[in-house]
Amino acid sequence: MTTADRLTEPAPAPRTARPAKRGAGPAVRRRPRTVRSGRRRRRAVALLYLLPALLPYTLFAVLPLLHTAYLSLFDWDGVTLPSFVGVDNYRRIGTDPQLRAAAWHAGALILFFSVLPICVGLVSAAIVSRRAGRRGTALVRTVLFLPQVIPLVAVGILWRWVYGEDGTLNQALRTVGLGGLTDAWLGSFTWALPAVGLIGTWVVSGLCMVLFLSGTQRIDQEIYEAARMDGAGPVREFTAITVPLLRPEFAIALSITVIAALSSFDLIYITTGGGPGNSTVVPGILIYRLAFGGGAVGVASALAIVLTVVISLAVLVINRLSREAP
Amino acid sequence: MSPSPSSLSRRTFLAATGAVGAAALAACSDLTPGASSAEKSSSGPVSTAVPADKITLVVADADDTTMTPGLIAAFRAKHPNITVKRQYTGWDDYLKSINTTMSADSAPDIAQFTSGMQNLVPGRLLLKVGAYGKAYGWAEKFPGLDQITLTPDGKTVGTGDLYGVGAGLSFEGVYYNKAKARKLGLTVPPATLEDLEALFAKAKAAGETALVAGNLDGGLNHPFNVLLSAYLTPKDREAWAFGHTSATIVLPEAEKAAETLQRWVDKGYVTPKVNGVSDNDATAAFAKGEGVFRISGNWAAAAVAKGLGEGAGYFNMPPVTAGGKVRTTGAGVYYCVSGKSKNAAAAAAFLDFAAGAEAAAITAKAGFMAPDAGAMPSQSGLLGDVQTGWQTVVKDAGLQPFIQNASSPTMGDTLTTQLQLLAGGKATPEKFLAGLQTDFENYHK
Repeated sequence: MTTADRLTEPAPAPRTARPAKRGAGPAVRRRPRTVRSGRRRRRAVALLYLLPALLPYTLFAVLPLLHTAYLSLFDWDGVTLPSFVGVDNYRRIGTDPQLRAAAWHAGALILFFSVLPICVGLVSAAIVSRRAGRRGTALVRTVLFLPQVIPLVAVGILWRWVYGEDGTLNQALRTVGLGGLTDAWLGSFTWALPAVGLIGTWVVSGLCMVLFLSGTQRIDQEIYEAARMDGAGPVREFTAITVPLLRPEFAIALSITVIAALSSFDLIYITTGGGPGNSTVVPGILIYRLAFGGGAVGVASALAIVLTVVISLAVLVINRLSREAP
Repeated sequence: MSPSPSSLSRRTFLAATGAVGAAALAACSDLTPGASSAEKSSSGPVSTAVPADKITLVVADADDTTMTPGLIAAFRAKHPNITVKRQYTGWDDYLKSINTTMSADSAPDIAQFTSGMQNLVPGRLLLKVGAYGKAYGWAEKFPGLDQITLTPDGKTVGTGDLYGVGAGLSFEGVYYNKAKARKLGLTVPPATLEDLEALFAKAKAAGETALVAGNLDGGLNHPFNVLLSAYLTPKDREAWAFGHTSATIVLPEAEKAAETLQRWVDKGYVTPKVNGVSDNDATAAFAKGEGVFRISGNWAAAAVAKGLGEGAGYFNMPPVTAGGKVRTTGAGVYYCVSGKSKNAAAAAAFLDFAAGAEAAAITAKAGFMAPDAGAMPSQSGLLGDVQTGWQTVVKDAGLQPFIQNASSPTMGDTLTTQLQLLAGGKATPEKFLAGLQTDFENYHK
């Protein structure tokens, strides 16, 4: 069968018969067929439509992933002959103290990349949606979303200036008479991780707000009107209507931000490189160090696979939870 | 949707995934390079004749001064039939990508050699240039060739085959702000390390930052390296940096160096909150007039001279006891030849060119020390002081390898981490050295 024949098949949905767009269909279409084979053909057509997306996805995502899984079974420095070591690399991961630290930090980053941005996004969405149409709202919305469009590397460089010894933050502290609180934030064992985390909060909050904003627009205004008739104020509206009805958006926001937290790399690489000491080391940094600096491609691959599995599980759990009825 | 098509699609999907996966795994043996490379060396007949046919050489480097481009331009002018293309990458990215670059079929003919590239030796991706070295007489022309002589496993430096040449050499010393030193009544140069520390104390008492440093990216390795040069015997230092079996850095002298550095931080001589300042920012701050002293390499001379002008001074790191030999830390910009190069003779000619008098002027202008020290044009001001300092180092044969360069591919990262812990008071000198030793042993096991 030629490609042209397949393309003239009706689209799988809607199921109702549709008049053929082209004049007379090819003879092949009039041949009597079983329902099952018709469905099979429609599947094939659907796959054909998917091909332009599926092909690059397979080439650039699925195959490299499989390749990484394969490499994780070897002791390989990236140059010389690899030697097969089975699951040894995975065992090494389990016993590495640096890795334990990295796992903790990734966990802490969920607070800054997910929990905080979702709270900030929710509140700002509530405020912006109530002010819709008034002057300045569009500007506020744009400003809040702006960090999302700046490349993370640029964000990192920007915030290095903010957090520097003579940076904006310290200058602000000195201006308001709190000069005693200044610090070289990214070089502090106590503050480096929260400092990097807050950059993440700043970046992701706008995205969460836009998600929630589109969610609130989906909510039927009559529900709000009914609530108002019952005497509900803005806070009550927010807790009783907006939050529960935004469940799907919550799931999306949580999935995206948890992935960002667990797979974080560029922001930390630019701002602290994992330091001071190991205080901001995350799995992404370790993978990079091991693979490209340390000549331990096998261990790095194993770590990457573990990270992929953990992230997939996290997203799976989030989606399961969000599907349950409120 | 009815179950039948759904299960069908799932089956199709699984089958497709399986097929793709199997194909990928089958292709994997081709995707792990190193499997098919053959050993390359110049042990056959080599000549010093520069080829006369039209040739293109690609030079990969991370040298952000004018040296490499200058050498390339001068070499091209001398040999018009040879086109030389430069493939520049920033330092960090160069280090992280060079293994892949050199494994590729399109590997550059010449590459700057640096730590972390030792794997290329057992990977047979570097040409053994010993025969060219003999033909050209490199042993007399280039100082410090032992730093690019490696054993077949690439793990030990100083013995084995020659893999390149060190063209421009760098070394570390102490810069100071002349105006401030005069104002504070500091006598320079100090005769001993103790005297230097006394100067630090005086500067600190006058409310100045005595030693400008930045450790966000591990810049304290400069003072630590030169302190090690002063305290540790050259034999112990080289054994460790060159990766000799059973070498150790857990030595009383190394502990003294680490203690000294930590004391400088604790006493407030070093830039406050040093872990939050990058090394480049420290140089920039010093060049702008902040602080009194800065321990760094000759690569910073141009920036310091530009910032402080006539007010910039330099002296060599003093020895532990007065009148002792001057020892400091340094390395070269090493050029090596790819095992895949089709133009090895032309590449070797380029390496040899770097040792000549014509190259010396280019190298010196870029702030490096030329292999042919006598051919370096004399310079005035700070660059002149640095050059004079270099003569003493050469006279005392005091140039020693950076400890992070040779001992293991991960030592750079480990040293940065450990120095941050040491400066932050999170590690004692013993723990600090033990951390370095662990990295060493993981690689040289």
